[in-house]
Amino acid sequence: MALAGTRKRVRLAGLLSPITILLTVFFIAPLSILLVYAFLEPGLYGGVVWNFYDQNFGRILGWADGYYEEFDPVYFSIFGRSFRLAITTVLISLLLCYPAALWVTSLSERWRSFFLFLITLPFFASLVVRLFAWVLILKPTGWINETLISIGMIVKPFDMLYTEGAVVLGMVYVFIPFMFLPLYASLEKLDRSLLEASGDLGAGRFKTFMRVTLPLSVPGMVGGSIIVFIPSLGNFIVPDLLGGAKVLMIGNLIEQQFLEARNWPFGSALAWMVMVAVLLFLLIYVTVVNRAEALQEQ
Amino acid sequence: MREIFDRTMRRASRHALLVYSILFFAFIYAPMMIIIVYSFNANPVNMMSWSGFTFDWYRTIFGLGTKLTEQTMYVESTEQLTNAVGHSLIVALTTTTISTVIGTLTALAMARFGFRLKTFYRVLVFMPMIIPDIVLGIALLIYFVTIGVKLGLVTIIIGHCTFLASYVFIVVSARLAGMDQTCEEASADLGASAYQTFRRVTLPLILPGVIGGALLAFIISMDDLVITYFIAGVDSTTLPVFIYGMLRRGIKPEINAIASLMIFFSLVIASLGLWFRSRSSR
Repeated sequence: MALAGTRKRVRLAGLLSPITILLTVFFIAPLSILLVYAFLEPGLYGGVVWNFYDQNFGRILGWADGYYEEFDPVYFSIFGRSFRLAITTVLISLLLCYPAALWVTSLSERWRSFFLFLITLPFFASLVVRLFAWVLILKPTGWINETLISIGMIVKPFDMLYTEGAVVLGMVYVFIPFMFLPLYASLEKLDRSLLEASGDLGAGRFKTFMRVTLPLSVPGMVGGSIIVFIPSLGNFIVPDLLGGAKVLMIGNLIEQQFLEARNWPFGSALAWMVMVAVLLFLLIYVTVVNRAEALQEQ
Repeated sequence: MREIFDRTMRRASRHALLVYSILFFAFIYAPMMIIIVYSFNANPVNMMSWSGFTFDWYRTIFGLGTKLTEQTMYVESTEQLTNAVGHSLIVALTTTTISTVIGTLTALAMARFGFRLKTFYRVLVFMPMIIPDIVLGIALLIYFVTIGVKLGLVTIIIGHCTFLASYVFIVVSARLAGMDQTCEEASADLGASAYQTFRRVTLPLILPGVIGGALLAFIISMDDLVITYFIAGVDSTTLPVFIYGMLRRGIKPEINAIASLMIFFSLVIASLGLWFRSRSSR
């Protein structure tokens, strides 16, 4: 018996050691170093000085000494814009996906899997390429302007690229499958008999939707929102290609610190702030879902 | 009266939903279709203004002769492009192999054993998928520079494995969760060793999940831009990083052709993969 227990333990250790080593050495350790870096002094010509230094966060949050490092409210406004754009992206993709997801659930089994296939497919096409498509469509000599000019609707091309709208459009476009799938999953799970009961009891379609369908799909809505929010908040590819220098987000700021300004400690501090924001949102998600599940059980 | 009104409303709303959904799917596919169509556009000055059909952009990327004049040609060199594709394939194949093995082993441990740190492991395995990729990218960059590892294909492979093992874990776990354990018990009762049971019973049963996870890992690895961008060395550019670099320097018609080929190949591979999965899960 003791032998069997030992053997089992050895087997478990064997199964778990690869992931343990992988994540300790190449995940936990790098993130810890990132945290250490956020509290180190940036060297004059790139690199770091191994001193405890709280001015990296000071530059962002306001306790910089004003001598070596200066507090600059621009970082607040960039954070503000990132949150605003990420939340707009979430809301728009939610609004776009909901009716379509509802429609797909009303189809027969065969068609349902066909449309699910259609929605997952673009996820596999290269992200850069899908964004590049929008550059070609939106730019002053792009598809929209050329088409409108050739049919004589406008004379002068108008600017659509390098605006906040373009960035939101790009993020909605690339993250839309992430919103659709959880939403669809929660709508599909919905008990049809509840809808029928609501109808039998004299509620109209609108009322049924507001009182039954919508509340029961909250976990899917929140889940999709989180999965869209996380990659939107720290994004730098979309604002770089569609927002240009005009629409900076935290992601661009971090990238600049690493590849242009070579101020790694400051970049690390920014990155940790993104991390904390994301973890906070996740915590809210877990709480909301747990509460919703508790409500449903009652 | 009210009934007629209700019925008309219901029909109208159903039609509105149908029209909306068609537009929704058009929105998703139209941009990719536009790229593919215009990759055959002969206009060398403005690539979005149609002036005739040509294969020239495809010929340039493969280094074949074209009717284009020297000024309109752009491809820096076909060799750089093929190098990038080669790097992407090496990285994706290695990463897929490693992360599939690690992810599957982890899924087996979590599904078949009870142990004290289980919750901790569950959170740990989820973390690499949850944190923003830019954070993981720069954390790995700092780490590799600090411990003195030269950036290159090896660092890219390691970086991809850190988060792809988790994806494989999720897919294989889903398969294990829906699986009947009685076959494994029967095999053990009949005297098979643990290894024999795994090789003859468990593995064949979870194989669709393992293949699905591997395909997912392969595709994500082929497409990863953000993490690779930070930890790729100068001479280890992968395809997405190469294209991103080209885009940043200016948009030229050849990118259209490259992009169309990428869309085509990834959609074919993904279709095959999803089709295979839907078959095997039946």
